[in-house]
Amino acid sequence: MTAPEPVVRMTGISIAFPGVKALDGVDFRLLPGEVHSLMGENGAGKSTLIKALTGVYKIDAGTIEVQGTQRRFHGTADAQAAGISTVYQEVNLCTNLTIGENVMLGHEVRGPFGINWQATYRGATQALTKLGLGHLDPRRPLSSLSIALQQLVAISRAMATDSRVLILDEPTSSLDAAEVEQLFGVIRRLRDEGVAILFVSHFLDQVYAISDRVTVLRNGQYQGEFLLRDLPRAKLIATMIGKDLETLASLESTRSERAAARTGEPLLSATGIGRKGSMEPTDVEVHRGEVVGFAGLLGSGRTELARLLYGADKADSGSIAIDGRKVALTSPVAGLDNRIAFSTENRRDEGIVADLTVRDNVILAVQAKRGWARPLSRREEDEIVGKYIAALNIRPANPNMLAGNLSGGNQQKVLLGRWLATEPELLILDEPTRGIDVGAKAEIQDSVATLAADGVAVVFISSELEEVVRISDRIVVLKDRAKIGEITNGPNVTAQQVVELIAAHGDGDLPDGDDPGDNHPDGPPGSPTDRLRDGANDGAPTTEGVPAA
Amino acid sequence: MFRTKTWAAGVALTAGLALALAGCSGDDGGDDTDTGTDTGTDAGTDDGGDSGELISVGFVAVGPEGGWRAANEKNIQDTFTEEAGFDLSYAPATNLDQASQIAAFTSFVDEGVDVILLSATEGSGWEDSLTRAQEAEIPVILIDRGIEPDDPSLYVTRIAPDNFVVAQGVAEWALSALPEGGNYFTLEGPAGVGVVNERNRGWDDVMGDHPEFVKVGAQTANWSTEEAKSVFETVLRANNNDIQIVFAQNDEMGLGAALAVEEAGLTPGEDVKIATIDGTKPALEALAAGRLSFVAEYNPLFGQTALEVVNTVLEGGTVDSYIIVPSGTFDSPEAAEEALPSREY
Amino acid sequence: MNAPSPTLSARLAELVRKPFFWGIVAILLLLVVNLLKDPTYLAIRVNPSNGNLAGNVLDILRASAPILMVATGMSLVIATAGIDLSVGSVMAVAGAVSMEYLQNAGAPSSLGAALVAIAMSIGLGALLGTFSGLLVAKVGLQPFITTLVMMLAGRGLAKVITSGQNTTATNEQFRWMANGYVLGFPVVFLLAVAIVLVVILVVRRSALGMMIVSIGINPRASRMAGIKPAGLLVTVYALSGALAAIAGMFAVSSVMTVDVSQTGYQLEMDAILAVVVGGGTLAGGRLSMGGAAVGALLIATLDKTVVFLGVPSSATPAFKATVILILFLLQADNVRNLLRSRRPRPASLTETVETKASVAA
Repeated sequence: MTAPEPVVRMTGISIAFPGVKALDGVDFRLLPGEVHSLMGENGAGKSTLIKALTGVYKIDAGTIEVQGTQRRFHGTADAQAAGISTVYQEVNLCTNLTIGENVMLGHEVRGPFGINWQATYRGATQALTKLGLGHLDPRRPLSSLSIALQQLVAISRAMATDSRVLILDEPTSSLDAAEVEQLFGVIRRLRDEGVAILFVSHFLDQVYAISDRVTVLRNGQYQGEFLLRDLPRAKLIATMIGKDLETLASLESTRSERAAARTGEPLLSATGIGRKGSMEPTDVEVHRGEVVGFAGLLGSGRTELARLLYGADKADSGSIAIDGRKVALTSPVAGLDNRIAFSTENRRDEGIVADLTVRDNVILAVQAKRGWARPLSRREEDEIVGKYIAALNIRPANPNMLAGNLSGGNQQKVLLGRWLATEPELLILDEPTRGIDVGAKAEIQDSVATLAADGVAVVFISSELEEVVRISDRIVVLKDRAKIGEITNGPNVTAQQVVELIAAHGDGDLPDGDDPGDNHPDGPPGSPTDRLRDGANDGAPTTEGVPAA
Repeated sequence: MFRTKTWAAGVALTAGLALALAGCSGDDGGDDTDTGTDTGTDAGTDDGGDSGELISVGFVAVGPEGGWRAANEKNIQDTFTEEAGFDLSYAPATNLDQASQIAAFTSFVDEGVDVILLSATEGSGWEDSLTRAQEAEIPVILIDRGIEPDDPSLYVTRIAPDNFVVAQGVAEWALSALPEGGNYFTLEGPAGVGVVNERNRGWDDVMGDHPEFVKVGAQTANWSTEEAKSVFETVLRANNNDIQIVFAQNDEMGLGAALAVEEAGLTPGEDVKIATIDGTKPALEALAAGRLSFVAEYNPLFGQTALEVVNTVLEGGTVDSYIIVPSGTFDSPEAAEEALPSREY
Repeated sequence: MNAPSPTLSARLAELVRKPFFWGIVAILLLLVVNLLKDPTYLAIRVNPSNGNLAGNVLDILRASAPILMVATGMSLVIATAGIDLSVGSVMAVAGAVSMEYLQNAGAPSSLGAALVAIAMSIGLGALLGTFSGLLVAKVGLQPFITTLVMMLAGRGLAKVITSGQNTTATNEQFRWMANGYVLGFPVVFLLAVAIVLVVILVVRRSALGMMIVSIGINPRASRMAGIKPAGLLVTVYALSGALAAIAGMFAVSSVMTVDVSQTGYQLEMDAILAVVVGGGTLAGGRLSMGGAAVGALLIATLDKTVVFLGVPSSATPAFKATVILILFLLQADNVRNLLRSRRPRPASLTETVETKASVAA
């Protein structure tokens, strides 16, 4: 097969931020008439790479070629001029303008008396028709459309400039299944016109449904480019988490000896809890002294489920009982009152209060429980803060330092201290070890084991599967916002089993149409198959999912 | 826009009510003006149709500002009564804001009232509104406050006591009270307001020829007692109490100055003489108590004059473009005591 | 940066970094300017007629009392990333209530009447503040809009209370608040300082200050840590209303007259300026009541200086604006220095930065 010349070829791209190499010699290419996915866990460098390609960041090393010509982008305008358009996750349109104004914003048709609105709206209609959206009245306000249609309008806007490259950054994160299918219809249409499309999503099934090729990044490094039809899901997942399958198979639980004693009433028992748009109804149980791992890829719902268990988000279905007593976890306050603590994965936005001292950060939750009118005495504060600085080995051991000035690992320990100070019965740790060094990581893992030994129930979430497998007694496996299984940990359980569970699920037997398509040759007849090609357009008409006018 | 509409509806409702009431009202004991009113009503309504209809008057007013203003606006409201054949809509400004006045003025024009009375919070910026009224053939009569630049073709007449003349009177009193001269300080209203400029001009007109009077300064106290007290206490310190006369451009500020003088350990009337303009009750009381030395009345009670002018204009008569309301002065505690019992404001 | 440095220059640098440092400098400069005009400006004399201390400095302290009150409340509100534009109007409401009550009370010159007037004023101020707080915290309205509406409504309420008149009353005890002296010092300033100290003590000794700042810095993290923002916000706005009511009483008791359109007029601007001069930021998360007090003193000094120098009325606003602007420019420079040494990372990069922050751990 003769691959056509890539529209975009990025070679040896490196971008460094103070103290961090966000991208390290990454190669990347986009072929015309192909949908290309970019995969990787948090911090892999996906967004950095996109921002390098769209001119938001300047690259420190490497070259970017667009249609054979080497380019240097000094801003997003340069990238747009080179024919690269982007539609971001949050639709960045002006909802108070009309559809047509949004499509043509910045390239309105000008006449002798300023903007020729009639011609402008004609142009908008043309751009919309190209995507099968000709039925939309361009004079209606954008706000009258659903988010999904707004997304399509955003694509029309991006394509109004005849772009050769379209970047879609998490376009499906707030769409339902039918809307995803509608979007895919548009993507296929553009692909068939020869546009190179970069599709970023953490929904594995969607990636397999729409993409021809995938590039995997991990920790800022290039892991490889694959044709998706040749790539088993398990292999893709393994590549993303940085282990080959053999290694995964050898990662066994170290908690096997403790896995037995799970009898009697669970501490927390959730029945059918879910929240529209973020988590399908799910059952979970956690016992005292047990470490339950939530395993799943980014966007699988592992964080969403944890938030429901704490009350950070309000569940709109199901119920939660603690020691058999039904509780309403409607807010973090309710969670704390029921002796649940939740350490967020979003340390910067939801965890550390950067401009407060370490001392204040540690006592914050305890103090919040007591109310402002009953302050801890200085002595009590010193006791609590001193205890956790020592126990968790927080460095520097200066309680009066601003928390924001600590390293990530020590900030994480401060947060852990904050939650332990509330003496929780259930401690939920969402990515407690992300972005911290090996030493701190081991210290936190040890703390988790000690806590469980002391009878605390722990929910442990990590994108590092090996970590979950190593310290959990039981593993709840999640995928696409739903629980797909549970594995009781034991000597024979390996990370590979988890990966295979994730990979197998939805591969062939899909739950209720969640998957918009299937790319396997043995897929159901009539499904939009045959989209694996080597760039050449085989002309297969793909009209399904496009709304009728 | 919504506000104006509901407001207009309210006015219409009130007018309807007033109409109904007017039908029941009998005659009232008539002096000359009342007779004049009646004929005016008849003359005005002969073209319009059924008799007994009230003359609608829109009053774009200043609203709460001080004792003088309250007396003036109450007097006008008490004069243009239904008994006298009028339906007066009172529209005070919101926080002395000119924009709210212009909005009220415009809605009066849109409603097509018979005549508009206007007390502008600010002198400038009225040309467009007045032109609109002119196009709608609604006569506008300025009450107290003038407009800037003054263009008599835009309104029928201005009825006001003359600030210039009143301030001249204050200055002349100062000459007689302190024949050997002295230092004086002026407590002004807000910078740029027409009244302030007129009162300053009147005072300076007299004082300009008398070098024995030395101006040590002028400051605004925004018509406020509290601010005047604070300002004048500092002025006294800055001048080692060497100030003989305060020209306070309204009563409230004069009272504030008196408090500052007392607090500095001086005696108002002896160490520092304070002259004020307006002639409100608290000022006359202070004059009777010797805390103020001179109060020039700036007569607010000219509703009657305004009523006569309105009738003349609606009958097609002509009036002067400036009608000066006569004002008195009070230069002694005795004069104040005499006037106090009958003082209405 | 944290290591204590013994050298004089380092200490000086530390002081210069304090946000209200330039406020103090500005006060001193204004005093110097006044001294140039009159070498005896700072002299404090004993008033022979009543034995009280008298002088320009005491005048400034007295004039600063109402601003101190509203600035203290405002500093708390601003620390939560809110704003309270209604304080000036609440002053007018409080003044109106107390004057109207004292004018019509059974025994208008008794101490009891004065106390009732004070209680009513503070109560009403706190009530108005609570109302704003509920709208902000429970309904989720923007503080700016909420308090803007309350600002308009408050002045309207004051006019309703006095029927649009400027009401005068006589009550020696009430008047003593603003005009009395204790040990030769003006009562109003002593009261203001005492109230500020009490508020500082309460806020610092309870967990209120920490929680307010926490909400201001990072509302999401604070919520996740179990802080209930609603109760705190209502408390803060109520406190601001009560302090504004006290300021209103200070203002009217000095002349025993409430001027419904002038009492407290635009004092919210003075309060905001005072807070910003003192190192607060409208983005919230910083609480310096001491700094706000410096700011309040600066504004009182500025007002008095304008009169003392005899700046013409028409030039007064420009003069004040110029002084404040120069001050802010100096502070901005200061902020830039701070930024240079602290160097925060752009937010968009943090995801990646965090993954590798271990390097520094």
